[in-house]
Amino acid sequence: MKTTNLKKGLVALTTAALVATFAVVVPSAARAAEPTCSVAPLALYNVANVTTCTGVDEKGSKYEIRMPKNFNGTLFLYSHGIRKSADLPPIPVVAPTGYKVDYSAQVAPTEEVATSLLKQGFALAGAGVQAQGWNLTEQTYAALLLSQEAQMKFPKINKVVAWGNSLGALSSQALAEQYPGTVDAVGNLCLSDSGLAEITMAGDFLWGLKSFFDPTIKATGYSAGTAGYMEMLGDIQKVLGVLVALKTALAINPTSPTWPTTSTVPAAYQAIPVRSAILLLGLISGVSTQSMTYDSASGPAGASETTFGLVLSPALAVLENGAEAAILAIAANYDMEIRAGGIIYDNSKTNYATRLGDDGDTYAAALSGKTYTGVLLSILAASPRVTADPAAVARFKQMYDLQGKVTVPTINLAATADHITPPGATQHFIDLYDAQVAKTRAGVEGASQAGLVTTIWNKPSDTYSTFDADGKPVTPTVAPNGTMHCNFKTSQTLLVAKMLAASAKSGKSPSASTVKAAIKNDANLFVDPNYRAPLLKYRQ
Amino acid sequence: MKRISIVSAVAVAGAMVLSTLPAQAADPGVTSTEIKLGLSSPQTGTAALSYGKLPKAMKAYFDYINANGGVYGRKIKLIARDDKYLPTQAATQTTNLVLNDKVFALVGALGTATHTKAYAAAQLAKNNVPDLFVNTGFSGFDNKTKYPTTFLVLPSYAMEAKIIAKFIADTPTLKPQASFLIAQDDEFGIDGVNGFKLGGHTFTKAPTLYPQGGLSSALAEGALTALSAAPGKPVLVLMGTTDTTATLLKAAEKLSLTTKFNWIVGSVGGDANTLLALGVKSTTIDGVMAASFFPDAKDTSDEYVSQFMKINEKYNPGVSFDNVVLQAMNSAMLTVQALRAAGKNLTRAGLIKAIEDKGSTFASAGLAPLNYSTTSRVGYNGYWFGQLNAKGELLPYITGKRTLYTTDSTSTSAPVLSTYERKPIPKNGIPTN
Repeated sequence: MKTTNLKKGLVALTTAALVATFAVVVPSAARAAEPTCSVAPLALYNVANVTTCTGVDEKGSKYEIRMPKNFNGTLFLYSHGIRKSADLPPIPVVAPTGYKVDYSAQVAPTEEVATSLLKQGFALAGAGVQAQGWNLTEQTYAALLLSQEAQMKFPKINKVVAWGNSLGALSSQALAEQYPGTVDAVGNLCLSDSGLAEITMAGDFLWGLKSFFDPTIKATGYSAGTAGYMEMLGDIQKVLGVLVALKTALAINPTSPTWPTTSTVPAAYQAIPVRSAILLLGLISGVSTQSMTYDSASGPAGASETTFGLVLSPALAVLENGAEAAILAIAANYDMEIRAGGIIYDNSKTNYATRLGDDGDTYAAALSGKTYTGVLLSILAASPRVTADPAAVARFKQMYDLQGKVTVPTINLAATADHITPPGATQHFIDLYDAQVAKTRAGVEGASQAGLVTTIWNKPSDTYSTFDADGKPVTPTVAPNGTMHCNFKTSQTLLVAKMLAASAKSGKSPSASTVKAAIKNDANLFVDPNYRAPLLKYRQ
Repeated sequence: MKRISIVSAVAVAGAMVLSTLPAQAADPGVTSTEIKLGLSSPQTGTAALSYGKLPKAMKAYFDYINANGGVYGRKIKLIARDDKYLPTQAATQTTNLVLNDKVFALVGALGTATHTKAYAAAQLAKNNVPDLFVNTGFSGFDNKTKYPTTFLVLPSYAMEAKIIAKFIADTPTLKPQASFLIAQDDEFGIDGVNGFKLGGHTFTKAPTLYPQGGLSSALAEGALTALSAAPGKPVLVLMGTTDTTATLLKAAEKLSLTTKFNWIVGSVGGDANTLLALGVKSTTIDGVMAASFFPDAKDTSDEYVSQFMKINEKYNPGVSFDNVVLQAMNSAMLTVQALRAAGKNLTRAGLIKAIEDKGSTFASAGLAPLNYSTTSRVGYNGYWFGQLNAKGELLPYITGKRTLYTTDSTSTSAPVLSTYERKPIPKNGIPTN
């Protein structure tokens, strides 16, 4: 088997010392005020005569409204995805030039999408919420206020489409459910699951990294104030150190890579190829086994083709995806614990053997056999668990949980290999909606009517990994569609936007034939009521 | 919140859509002229060396049936997709077969790890997609609750192990010898280990287990060297795929240990043609013992083998006839009988019921009975024991007569001598049930 070159397979990681002199930034409260508007062509985007209004709502969230001259009556109200809640010093990979918490307003998933919609005559609006991190409550409220502000400022708005990415999609759906009548259609792009479901996935992966590779990672229970911030930065550094060690080991010997020196797993157990431990963490937490480089199917042409796809590719994909999941877990745990006043993540009762389930059979070869799988699970079983603070969890649960109460046409766009918001998050929402519809059919008043939710799935090509002449995997410069987080093509986003606008206007969901016609030229999209994505592990 | 009322005038009711349930549509994959079937199996990669003939051999039989009128006038179209024997790819391809290709049923899916993942990913249970004659001996697929649409065809690995255990116990030259097991460390091997326990056989030392694809030549040589220290001519049972059997036998050649052991090779890893193609010497396989539920693929005196050979020659030209081709054509013939048993008004539910009700009566090349019923998804449940010769023919062990035993996967009951007599092949190999 050829040595795997992971230099491109993983984003370059280093353990450069972190600058540790940052303090937590608390956003200053802002006073609600009338927006400031200016009319000017957006020359950069070749859009003529757009009125751009900016302001700060009564809660201090910045917002922006863009109104084209050829306005057609429909406003797209966008909610952005999660952003880090604390400043970061320069950290390789995570924040190479440092990070300042971003409170800026965002009106569309990308400026390219924004430009296209403006040209079509749609107005755009979006907020930059005053509190970042897992800000579902604040973001939902900011969207509500912005919707009102926009309609007061521009009375010609007669239809409102709420849409968002990831946590922003959760917020858009929450807006529609909590304030029925506010919006006329909802677009959920890469919909996030609840905070507890998401932190369970990322947290399990992080806890697994700690258990297998570096028990000094804190992972949860960060101290208050600056001390906690420093602990969080320290964790990022340690996780990067683990990732570098794993990457290096895999580059030297992909078949039998060594364990990081920070691991305290008994030496006898470290005879198990560490790639199997990595894969196990992905399988028990639900991190996708398909990443931007590795499709878990392809291998370099020749004798090792099948072995690579069977044994190596799934583990490499988990490592590539898991790097982001682990960092997210640190940032999210830190944010959520501050928000709720205690530990949120809990694995005190998790049975990881049960979690593994049939994947233990499916990936038996990549896990180095059932015997070694049992050993790895026993290590996790013996590792100290995390128990959440019930009061903190109770406070966290005060945030809105989706009910599936749908009153307006709603379109989901979800990728089957999204490693941050897996497709099971959207599936959970579909299940909630179906349950509501069942209630309606049973005669329960106030539940959802059938036929309001359309789901478009975005899948990677059947195979997409490529290898150079030496058989080394090549990381693409552009992530294959269907992999990574919210990695939709502009055409896909606009396709959904077009259907949302039509639905908002008609009050009806697009017909099956309309959807199929719209996606027929995109091999990465499909609709099928019989497709069902696996739920997040938290819900299994 | 004071401003909510401003926008709450947007009427909720106006956006609601009353829907009606659509009329029940016919199952996918069936028209008045065609039945679409799907197969996910390895066509490329190393596993294709062993199993690559499967799709074309099945297609050859279906083409033969199509040339003879099809099934109640419908032609069978087999859509075969390459999963490379990789779980992720099997899930993708099976999903493609069900959702994109809109097949009516799946036939002959191959592998435990691959099909476990594919079954869940493609939602075969939810979609009630018949999952016919799966090529794995993993007894777990006999769980009707978990796999309600699946019908196995191979006897389970546990059954095979129980019958091997009995064979060792009943064979005077083998019984007193030390015995060892080298097996794949997954459901395949674990099923086998459990079968030996049920069969009351205790190996001299704990089984040597290795992950699929993880037994290198060096590891194989190390394992054989260690086991060769045992006195006498130990019994060495191999329960793995054919490529691994080849690795072990070639290691034995290198170490001059081919005659040190009484080799017993499980049915999955014992195809002589493949072993020879993978470079094992004919002198090495000469004398290797193996279990089978089929006639030997080289036995032209067998009416099923000879008929399938004719079909293979015409519809699959240039492809040598071996156990894989025999197995593929047999499953294709079972499929045709199942489709016929389901009647002219073909539905997925009807097909599943037809196999439950009548599957045990289907004509088949197998020398063991089929066990389909409303409560059982087990295919064949028995084996006979033979010995390979240098030509790769599996001949009945010593007695010259096949002795077939049947058993189950879960009890400690001893295997039972079978009196089963298979049905004659339908005229010209064309079912008329």
